[in-house]
Amino acid sequence: MRLVFACCVLALTALTAPLAMAQSGPLRIEITEGVIEPLPVAVPDFIPLNAQATQYGARIAQVVVADLVNSGLFREVPQSAYISQVTDFNTPLQYADWRAINAQAVITGAVGLSGGRLTVQFRLHDAVSGQVMAGLQFRSTQEGWRRMAHKVADAVYAQLTGEGGYFDSRVVFVSETGPKGDRRKRLAIMDYDGENVQYLTGSDDIVLAPRFSPNGDRVLYTSYETGFPRVYLLDVTTASRRPLEQADGTMSFAPRFAPDGRTVVFSLTRAGNTDLYRMNVSGSGLERLTSSPSIETAPSFSPDGRQIVFESDRSGSQQLYVMNADGSDVRRISFGQGRYGTPVWSPRGDLIAFTKQNRGRFHIGVMRTDGSEERLLTASFLDEGPTWSPNGRVIMFTRETQGANGRAALYSVDITGRNLRPVRTPDGASDAAWSPLQK
Amino acid sequence: MFDTGTKISAVAHIGLVGWVMIEGVFSGFTPPSEPIQEVSIITMDEFEALTAFRTPPALSQEVALPAPATPNAPDLPEVTDDLPVPQIDQPDPVAKPQPETEPEPPTPEPVPDLPDTAVLAPPAPDTPVTPDLPQISDETPALQQSDRVAPTPVAPPPEDVAIDVDSQSAVTPDETGEVEAESQRETAEEAASDRIVTEAEAEEVASAVPFRVPPLRPRDLQMPQPTPTPTPTPAAQPQTDPNAAAEDALRQALGTDPVPVPTGPPLTAGEKDGLRVAVSRCWNTGSLSTDALQVTVEVGVTMNSDGTPDVNSIRQLSATGGSGRAVEIAFQAARRAIIRCGKHGFELPVEKYDQWREIEMTFNPERMRIK
Amino acid sequence: MNIAGKLAVAAALIALGACSNVTNPIGGGAGGAGGIGGDASNPTSPAYFQQVVGDRVLFEVDQSSLTSTAQSILQGQADWMIANPSYTAIIQGHADEQGTREYNLALGARRANAVREFLIERGIAGNRLQVVSFGKERPLEICSAESCYAQNRRAVTVLASDLTG
Repeated sequence: MRLVFACCVLALTALTAPLAMAQSGPLRIEITEGVIEPLPVAVPDFIPLNAQATQYGARIAQVVVADLVNSGLFREVPQSAYISQVTDFNTPLQYADWRAINAQAVITGAVGLSGGRLTVQFRLHDAVSGQVMAGLQFRSTQEGWRRMAHKVADAVYAQLTGEGGYFDSRVVFVSETGPKGDRRKRLAIMDYDGENVQYLTGSDDIVLAPRFSPNGDRVLYTSYETGFPRVYLLDVTTASRRPLEQADGTMSFAPRFAPDGRTVVFSLTRAGNTDLYRMNVSGSGLERLTSSPSIETAPSFSPDGRQIVFESDRSGSQQLYVMNADGSDVRRISFGQGRYGTPVWSPRGDLIAFTKQNRGRFHIGVMRTDGSEERLLTASFLDEGPTWSPNGRVIMFTRETQGANGRAALYSVDITGRNLRPVRTPDGASDAAWSPLQK
Repeated sequence: MFDTGTKISAVAHIGLVGWVMIEGVFSGFTPPSEPIQEVSIITMDEFEALTAFRTPPALSQEVALPAPATPNAPDLPEVTDDLPVPQIDQPDPVAKPQPETEPEPPTPEPVPDLPDTAVLAPPAPDTPVTPDLPQISDETPALQQSDRVAPTPVAPPPEDVAIDVDSQSAVTPDETGEVEAESQRETAEEAASDRIVTEAEAEEVASAVPFRVPPLRPRDLQMPQPTPTPTPTPAAQPQTDPNAAAEDALRQALGTDPVPVPTGPPLTAGEKDGLRVAVSRCWNTGSLSTDALQVTVEVGVTMNSDGTPDVNSIRQLSATGGSGRAVEIAFQAARRAIIRCGKHGFELPVEKYDQWREIEMTFNPERMRIK
Repeated sequence: MNIAGKLAVAAALIALGACSNVTNPIGGGAGGAGGIGGDASNPTSPAYFQQVVGDRVLFEVDQSSLTSTAQSILQGQADWMIANPSYTAIIQGHADEQGTREYNLALGARRANAVREFLIERGIAGNRLQVVSFGKERPLEICSAESCYAQNRRAVTVLASDLTG
């Protein structure tokens, strides 16, 4: 039996050997270099399905395009370049016409309005291979047209890049007016692209460093309402607020939600010494996490809630440390030149963004959670306070210009360091915190 | 009489011609059925990802129909029935812990009334992203202003030249006076730097070496076409091959029917490199997720004899470093690279067609993650 | 110092007075140049404390230790508060703009506390001294140069009338 098998193998080998020679193997090449450039997309105006919806056709397309271009990953093929026009949502595209103008993706859409409710439909076309990749529809009130446009852009972004979008999100920040020596600060909230600014507090008292709750319905921040810095919890829908519990003679600031939404970690200063504490949002269960004579502040939870990254000058200068959520197992992760502060854990869990000061300049940078692969993305007179987009791809931060007329503004940058751009705000702006993606 | 090279060439051509005669596929070429081993490599997940992309979803079927336009496409999945628009209520006065401080009530109106609201703070004048870079020339684009990164820096093309991935030269009549039927506009590759330069790095360069040459090579930048720009070969015509006559003569002189050795000579390193560079120019990793940038994908493609890829043959052979959507996205980027840069045909020697009829390309993004 | 510089200091003092109005939880605007500060020639007036004794001390970059100059000013503050027991004080700690916001809050608290500890050590009751930090939120000088930064790295003792009785 074994012999027969061996013979068969031999025979097969003999038979196939010439075939193998005759059929030359495929040519193999390895591509390790490519280009990094925005993907060209065409977004014709959405087709109005009735007369009432006419005004939304172009506006929705414009928001979709602005979102995609804003990400830095896409480039608009201008409408003036179009060879064929889209006049009907359900007519097949002439893909050759779109390929000819180098559009690699085409987004077509339609919008209808009846009974005060908008319906937005879209299809994402791969012009290179001539296929529809996705199609969805959304309904909302008329006022929700921007959110629907952001939803369309999010779906397109997800389909083309493979990671979730971030356009249907909001940003809470500190709006700044007045001269540098007497800044008026008030809490404000806006869409991520600077639209729909609404104010959450008055400008009588200094407010600092707001942070969203994990589902975006509440905001923690610091206010000087009593004359002393103190942590407040604010309901975004009603703008009602209450101070968290605090002992007399202390200052509390730098509050951050834990991913569970019920626990708060913050800095408490007692007799000049600042340490990290945690407690329940309800005010119970105060627990000290660090106890050293140095400054411990700017905490940020890992997305799984198990670890906290924070800054401390226990080594003699500001550096980054990671500890378990109960305060145990503290280890330093920053070792480069200069000072490191304001660490923020990425929602993806893989990176930590930070502010670095070195040789008189400020930088926003990212590093792995063990401190390796540090990479500085920006450089200016004063950059600080990074916050992550919900998908962990973009960082927004505060940039302040120097001098007596110095002014704070928000900027965003891709984690590769590309696509640095200002974020539009009505006045000066600082201390941005990005919301999770809206439901 | 014949040097060694000619002999090798002759034997190879004879082999090629012989194989072609045996196979009988030179005209009306049909792609060979996919080799078994390539199918067997694909895992179930990969196969699903592959077919999920290739098979048009139900939606696209609907689009393909010249259907009477229904105002609503009921088959479109509805994601959200109602998107709440955040409206901030007036704060509850009772909730105020310090009523006497009288904060300004939140205003539901989104538009503040300050006249200078639209003025965006320009980047600080003290943050020289580019002005401090060594002055290459006034026309040279600043590093960060080019939103394109390519393996080799590319100076911006003249304004009257269309941007194209192929950077073709304008076709001029050849010696025989023949002009290719389809006139080709002169195109140029879009401007690019050879790596991402963050603001911090640009400043580092500027402050550390104010007047020295940065990693970028300015002389390269000033050259209008620093990248190797292979002129596309028009669809090759084997029967007009000037060597053919010599081959015939050789065969007759030898007086023997050649043993059918169907392989031509292997591609030279330069020829392979040319193909690699050509595909690289269209492999755009700029819109890939960070997950997709972890995926090395091996793609198989069957080539037509004119150097264009058989688009329908492009298939994923294997993928490492990721799964699911990341693999799918990585494959799509590779696929687009082959289709876009192959649309005019890759520059490949037609006499070696059998060597490149089947190509397996490995797209390894390791060096593209943080460029 | 030229005239412009003097004007700047004067303006700053006025601004500080206005500031204390905002930050004094007791109210009353103690320490304001035009308020109950009174005449600087009157040794029992807050104006005297502010302008003659000196209501502020300065710090080195990223430091909260008291220089010898600071210690002599604070000794004067302690003497004055002992002589004028009806006043309490809020010690404001500040930082220059070269630092991140929350770190600077903590740094300002350190500076204010260093002053408080010194005054307590020199005989002032702890319950007369509160501290607060403004970090880099309330610079006195607004240029982006060391000449301004040096003035902003400060701790200011802001008097308040003891109205708690």
